[in-house]
Amino acid sequence: MRKTLALGALVFCFLGLIFPLQALAQKLIFPKDKLIDNFDEFVQTFSSRRCQACHPRVYHQWEQSYHARSLVDSIKRMASFFAVGIPKEWQKPLNKKEMLKCFDCHLPQIRYATDRLALEIVGMLIEAQKARESGDKVRFQKAYSRLSRLNITCYACHNIVVYRASPGLFGKPDPQTIYTSTPKKIKAPHATAFAPTLKTAAFCAWCHGIYVASDGEKTMCNTLSQSYYHGYIALGGRKSCQECHMYPPGRGHRFPGAHDLDMLREGLGLDAEIRGFRYGVEEWVPAVDVEVTLINRAGHRIPDG
Amino acid sequence: MTAKDPSTGKVWYRAKREYFEVGLDIQGRMRYGAWQIKEILDLSLPPRLSRPERFLFTLPPDTREVEVGVTLYYCLKDHQCTPVRQTVRRLRYPRL
Repeated sequence: MRKTLALGALVFCFLGLIFPLQALAQKLIFPKDKLIDNFDEFVQTFSSRRCQACHPRVYHQWEQSYHARSLVDSIKRMASFFAVGIPKEWQKPLNKKEMLKCFDCHLPQIRYATDRLALEIVGMLIEAQKARESGDKVRFQKAYSRLSRLNITCYACHNIVVYRASPGLFGKPDPQTIYTSTPKKIKAPHATAFAPTLKTAAFCAWCHGIYVASDGEKTMCNTLSQSYYHGYIALGGRKSCQECHMYPPGRGHRFPGAHDLDMLREGLGLDAEIRGFRYGVEEWVPAVDVEVTLINRAGHRIPDG
Repeated sequence: MTAKDPSTGKVWYRAKREYFEVGLDIQGRMRYGAWQIKEILDLSLPPRLSRPERFLFTLPPDTREVEVGVTLYYCLKDHQCTPVRQTVRRLRYPRL
């Protein structure tokens, strides 16, 4: 009996060792030209969870980022564009070309979804906003929990948009390759390649600035990159976005910004000289002079999004 | 910026400055939709620059003490403001 138990334990340990290794060694394959029509398949195909086993620390950082909330944090704005902007103000059909004006940044993998699935996702956004406005918590929660599975995943930055900063020079990324910021050779269960764009401000600027759609339409969600180039860089600033939002300890793929008090304190300085005196000849009324100096130490205008 | 009576909390003077961007559509009207905004009126704090502000005010003649506080808030949304930095000073006005 003891021998059987020992053997069982040994087999269990062996299997426990083998299965994760198999999972790690499993090749990551992404769709090349095939469009996905099923919501769950779409989520699973591009999910950052696929990277978690080998990159748990990075995954944990990303999970806390606003990239991981890229849809649910912008429900109101996007629902408004899809329900009012495109159909009513522009009087245009709600197709993927128009949807990309939001999704190209908020859900770049949408290019691998069918028009029907893209419309289903748009429907969820509108449904969530309507439920929120009507105070229907159950309906809202149902739409929200599905939308929360959609976000800017590892594959979005490390593949889909990796060459956006310089498509003329680099061309299109290979769908089966994961692009990294290091030129070192890496052993991985997927092909890797070095993309120098990943360390540049130009890489972030594509979305964190005035977005220009393929038809030339400008969408102004934020203007960070404009003030970065024409304010910060023009006045002698030399840091990239990554040097403040990514490289310092504890930041990484969390990319903290205005939601983080440490970042706000780092970027904003306040000096206040407060002096009391008596004002007016012979009346000597108590008075106060407050001289305040605000200092923007960030690499862009404050506030911005 | 707030000046208040330290014993009662009564506010003698209050003033604020706000920094933000106003999104304007192609006809110069203030809009909120990212697809509508084509121009901005930039009232934000530009990078690498400091901005001076002055608050000069008088208090009731019998004031003996006042607490003056300057707080810098960052507002993510209208009612979601976080205090980022603060300076408070208590001033005394002895009887003449």
